Amino acid sequence: MSQTAVPTERRLRGGLLDAYTATRRFLIRGKRQPDVIFGTLLTPVIFVVLFGYVFGSSIVVPGGNYRSYLMPGLFAMSVLFSAANVSVAVATDMSEGVVDRFRTLPIARSAIIIGRSLSTLLLGIPVLLVMIVCGLAVGWRPVDGLGNAVLAFLLFELFGFAIGWLGILIGLLAGSPQAADVIVNIPIFLMGFISSVFVDPANMPVWLRVIAYWNPMSALVTAGRQLFGNTIGPPPSGVWSLEHPIATTFGLALIIIIVVTPVCVRRYSHSVR
Amino acid sequence: MTAPAITADHLARSFGTTRALVDVSLRVEAGTVCALLGRNGAGKTTTVRILTTLLAADAGRARVAGFDVAHQAPEVRTRIGVTGQTATMDELLTGAENLETIGRFCHLGAATSRLRSTALLEQFDLTAAARQLVKHYSGGMRRRLDLAASLIARPEVLFLDEPTTGLDPVSRAEMWTSIRSLVSGGTTVLLTTQYLDEADRLADTIVVVDRGLVVAEGTPEQLKASIGRPFVRVTLPDADPAALERVRLLLGDEAEVSGRSVSAPAGAGLVTLEQVVTRLRELGIPIHEVGLEHPSLDEVFSTVTGHSGHPAAPAAGAVDRR
Repeated sequence: MSQTAVPTERRLRGGLLDAYTATRRFLIRGKRQPDVIFGTLLTPVIFVVLFGYVFGSSIVVPGGNYRSYLMPGLFAMSVLFSAANVSVAVATDMSEGVVDRFRTLPIARSAIIIGRSLSTLLLGIPVLLVMIVCGLAVGWRPVDGLGNAVLAFLLFELFGFAIGWLGILIGLLAGSPQAADVIVNIPIFLMGFISSVFVDPANMPVWLRVIAYWNPMSALVTAGRQLFGNTIGPPPSGVWSLEHPIATTFGLALIIIIVVTPVCVRRYSHSVR
Repeated sequence: MTAPAITADHLARSFGTTRALVDVSLRVEAGTVCALLGRNGAGKTTTVRILTTLLAADAGRARVAGFDVAHQAPEVRTRIGVTGQTATMDELLTGAENLETIGRFCHLGAATSRLRSTALLEQFDLTAAARQLVKHYSGGMRRRLDLAASLIARPEVLFLDEPTTGLDPVSRAEMWTSIRSLVSGGTTVLLTTQYLDEADRLADTIVVVDRGLVVAEGTPEQLKASIGRPFVRVTLPDADPAALERVRLLLGDEAEVSGRSVSAPAGAGLVTLEQVVTRLRELGIPIHEVGLEHPSLDEVFSTVTGHSGHPAAPAAGAVDRR
């Protein structure tokens, strides 16, 4: 007896439906956790105050306003933190009995984690909105037109979606939610701080500066600053990723999605507790 | 003649050096209830996980609802319902939302999912709690909701892994009622349990597993009849060795002395008891108590799995596969 052939089109439609159902489930869950909502909405406010004023008061940006320089960086950071959250959430999902229930259902193998990923993206939108409002309140302005600003946010979301899949992979590989939390935060802090997110790497020691320049987070935040019109000077010469930040970010996001998503799906459907 | 709903042939599975399943074969006819009986670690859950496509067997093959669990997992999944040991309902969703989500995952569509969810909540006495978050449910309510979720796609074969473990007696009785009502609807059920009375009440056939092997199988009656022979126990007023020896001779070859009592298998139930009392009276031995004792189901279980030292008759007849 051979495997019953299911038409590709029906499988695809079923898969999309499953992903929709899963996303819906995670969104309902998200809605039911007011303490988590409060925390995630408060974090960007704290960041704007902490970095914009506590550190920002001592940071001088040549020919510009530090808070205008900072805001695209904070948008990039919120995207990174969202990846950390999804990592812990996936590890938690995997440690609960509900995974067994899902695996005995006739659903597409990818549906649950795609649902996780999409719902994280959607739940991240209010956080971004709060951050935009905070930014506007402290003097940040996207001065290069609304179209480019929207493009910038789409780029942030795309990159966030891609990084989210790396977070999901860590969540799937980690043995427990606690482990995922510890593991995922190491690369996030390194990527976030050894970059041009908060400060201009020009003053860093050479070895650190090279890392900071080539860090994808620098490309992302440079792309954002370019599209918002918040750039403070020409990019360092010889660093291709910063000379073409939009193309770099876009390309990298696509590569991560194409490579990491199938790995996650395989890992999810083969994992045995 | 319909094909069996479940067939498993020589399933084996190890986890590292632990051999969870050594050789398990079983066969469950459509529309019947089979209880997989065994202690913790006997291999019950591993068997269920293989049959429900959650785990691959190292050796052996199994078919559920006509499809191979290893090579036709998607087909198997559309035909089974599974209620595991761990709670699988989402705490942050209401009972109704949980059932509807499972229904949508089974591609029933939103309307049908809602209809069946409402009917199942009614059937499992959860209508009043339908709009409450599951985190406010009691243990018994969660298990019933879990069971309802397994039924939303109207499965041909239902797997229940220790459906009543950890429940209080009242919730347990309610769960039994729910399971029995399903069975009357014609669903094939494979349940695992460590409770003999549960297997006895719910199952048409019982498969006893121990250390990854099937050690006995049959109907509850067959198992009890072959292993559960009653005992005659004669207790003397004091431990007088001479008197105990006389009683032991009277009760036959299989009699054993323990303390101030002598016990022996009763070949013909009450007839023997009557004979014993008559002979004791004739011999004039002072007697404290004479009684017929039926081995408890737990003793039957111990006998079959060979872990306990009760002086019961060895497992005999067709049911013993060791």
